Amino acid sequence: MSGNTAEKIFAWLEERLGLEAIYATVLDRKVPKVNWWFTLGSASLFLAVMQGLTGVFLTMYYVPSPDKAYDSIQYIMNGVAFGWLIRGIHHWGASLMVIVVFIHMLRTFFYGAYKYPREITWLTGVFLLLFTLGMGFTGYLLPWNQRAFWATTVGTEIVGTVPFIGDFLLKALRGGTDISAVTLARFFSAHIWILPAGVVLMISVHMYLIIRLGISNIPSDEE
Amino acid sequence: MNEEFKKKYHEKYLAAKQKGVKFWPDIIYKDLIVSFGLFLLLVGLAAFLGVAQEPKADPNDANYIPRPEWYFLFLFEFLKFIPGAIEWVGTAVIPGIGVLILLLLPFIDKNPYRNWKKRKIGVAVMSLIVIGIIGLTVRAVITTPEQEEVALAGSIAEQVIQGQDLYSFWCAECHQPEGEGGEIIGVEGIEDGTLVKSISSIDEMWTRTDETFYNIIDLGQQDLGMPPYGLGYGGELQRSEIEDIVTFMRYTWDERAEIPEDAIIGIPSLAEGEVPSYEVHISIVAKRYCVSCHRPGKENNEYLMQTYEEILTTGDNADKNVIAGDLESYIIVTLHRESIFDASGEEIIGPMPPSKDLKAEYIDMFERWVLAGMPETADEATALSEPIMEDAGDAAPASEPETGTEATPP
Ligand code: HEC
Ligand code: HEC
Ligand code: HEM
Repeated sequence: MSGNTAEKIFAWLEERLGLEAIYATVLDRKVPKVNWWFTLGSASLFLAVMQGLTGVFLTMYYVPSPDKAYDSIQYIMNGVAFGWLIRGIHHWGASLMVIVVFIHMLRTFFYGAYKYPREITWLTGVFLLLFTLGMGFTGYLLPWNQRAFWATTVGTEIVGTVPFIGDFLLKALRGGTDISAVTLARFFSAHIWILPAGVVLMISVHMYLIIRLGISNIPSDEE
Repeated sequence: MNEEFKKKYHEKYLAAKQKGVKFWPDIIYKDLIVSFGLFLLLVGLAAFLGVAQEPKADPNDANYIPRPEWYFLFLFEFLKFIPGAIEWVGTAVIPGIGVLILLLLPFIDKNPYRNWKKRKIGVAVMSLIVIGIIGLTVRAVITTPEQEEVALAGSIAEQVIQGQDLYSFWCAECHQPEGEGGEIIGVEGIEDGTLVKSISSIDEMWTRTDETFYNIIDLGQQDLGMPPYGLGYGGELQRSEIEDIVTFMRYTWDERAEIPEDAIIGIPSLAEGEVPSYEVHISIVAKRYCVSCHRPGKENNEYLMQTYEEILTTGDNADKNVIAGDLESYIIVTLHRESIFDASGEEIIGPMPPSKDLKAEYIDMFERWVLAGMPETADEATALSEPIMEDAGDAAPASEPETGTEATPP
């Protein structure tokens, strides 16, 4: 009886969603035999998801204003149950993700996986690397501590040295001439809305291409 | 890339796929192992290394050495090799070209081969860049000087304790150890006899917010004689230090705030016949009641009281200030609110602390200490203490409570 009901529900869903086709294209497919270096892409994906989940949790307590930001982080560390763990994971996850994404890029480079037909996979990948670094840069300011403040000061100063438009870029980044509440709001917005939106978009294209083209084989001596 | 080559690629790839494995479960299973390993690593890092504590941002503290996130360090290190006049080449042109090449790599690199043995130049260039990045990062880490540690108070109790020390050091000379205020005497830069109201009263505590206190300390009230302490206004206190003082004031003087048990550092009182030590008793009394004036840069006859040696050996009258076994030591005489005069009858030292009696209990403490020969450590003091007996009272002249009652100024 129950098996029957479950079957019926599945059939109903299958008719509308085409689950079996998804299963066949995404999971039940053959791929070349590869080595452990090929796990780094999915490891990047895993870390990106972890950053997303822990980040959402942090925004429940974090207040993006110069008066409150520091204290709200203190509260997360000392007052919220397991807040220290979540923040710790988010903090270390950021560094780990940069490392893993970078090595993943090196692996696709050294195996020549960026060549035909995977040029666009590479292109979206470079954007993912840049966005990952951007997430690190914008996230670094949010705790509003000495390290954050001064790192962002010198980091944005660099942008100011660009010929002709440097001054404009610097003011656009900081929202004024100095690092202020506006800068914090701007970085916060970039960190939780703009860059993640870019990351999600790029990961979607990246993943679509990986499934469509299949993972490359390890090149033999003649390839 | 010609059509011929593309066809060959697809044939070869098909063959490789045929010989290959199923994505599910063979590949996924490896992926899961690696991701799970990373997860454990993250939890381990969060639990065992945690996140380093840092003081709150202080835009005025220009001494802070900026430290970018480690994965940007190589860029900053790289810039050091670029002359200042063409800095923009290092900040904009070279990184810009680098990113552009990376983006367009599949379209620039026309070599159809994928095996590294047939792409030696590309592989060599990328390897050199990676080695360069790692080298620059290591160099940056090695050459960045250590940040001067600011004592960072985490819990409320730690903040209160640190705030107490800072208060005693910076503020007590004018506002008195308990914030009770009164007449200011013997403080440089402010006229003797200036009156300050209590800053620990109910009126003060209920009508001033933490932010108000913060601003008063940061900016001072210069027309009234209160100097600014914030780094941005010519003072010497960091943001987090001012915040600790405010926390101390709030938790100690505001009846509405409940002070954490472990934040109260009392001055241990003495039993009959017990000899106080510098370590356990005198250092705390001195820190709280004397050091705000008796430290370098203050008007104090060069008499410093921050360490054991200083108390015994400094001062214009160093030979008379503290003499073992002698209650005529200046430190004792002045605590009894008597002045010291020189041969011509000129007052050279006034009563100490200048504006207010020290509690009799603490004067007694100084006396016993001087009589016992100024023991430094608790062990030395215990060795000098009278064994506690029923009739120890008469046998211990050092503890005669006469001192307290005679402590009225002439
Ligand atoms: C050189 C003497 C001096 C020192 C040192 C000093 N103050 Fe003051 N302070 C004053 C004077 C004078 C006023 C004016 C208040 C008055 O008229 O009663 C004042 C006012 C204040 C008030 C404001 C009272 C009110 O509500 O208007 C606070 C709070 C205060 N001081 C805290 C501190 C703290 C904390 C420190 C140490 C960091 C400190 N002061 C160091 C002299 C001093
Ligand atoms: C408000 C500032 C202030 C405080 C607090 C203070 N002193 Fe003084 N002290 C002075 C000044 C100023 C002198 C210089 C003599 C004078 O002007 O009276 C001095 C001188 C002395 C001297 C003589 C030093 C010498 O070599 O001539 C002794 C001893 C002394 N103080 C002990 C103490 C002790 C003990 C305490 C703490 C219980 C204390 N003082 C707290 C301001 C202070
Ligand atoms: C958030 C960052 C990224 C995520 C989540 C991600 C994810 C993935 C995944 C899951 C794969 C499957 C194969 C594998 O695991 O190796 C993959 C392949 C690939 N990635 Fe990424 N990637 C990221 C960043 C990058 C970057 C920075 C580059 C290069 C600049 C890149 C280039 C490629 C290429 C060319 C492939 C195809 C490899 C092949 O078929 O052999 N990716 N990516």
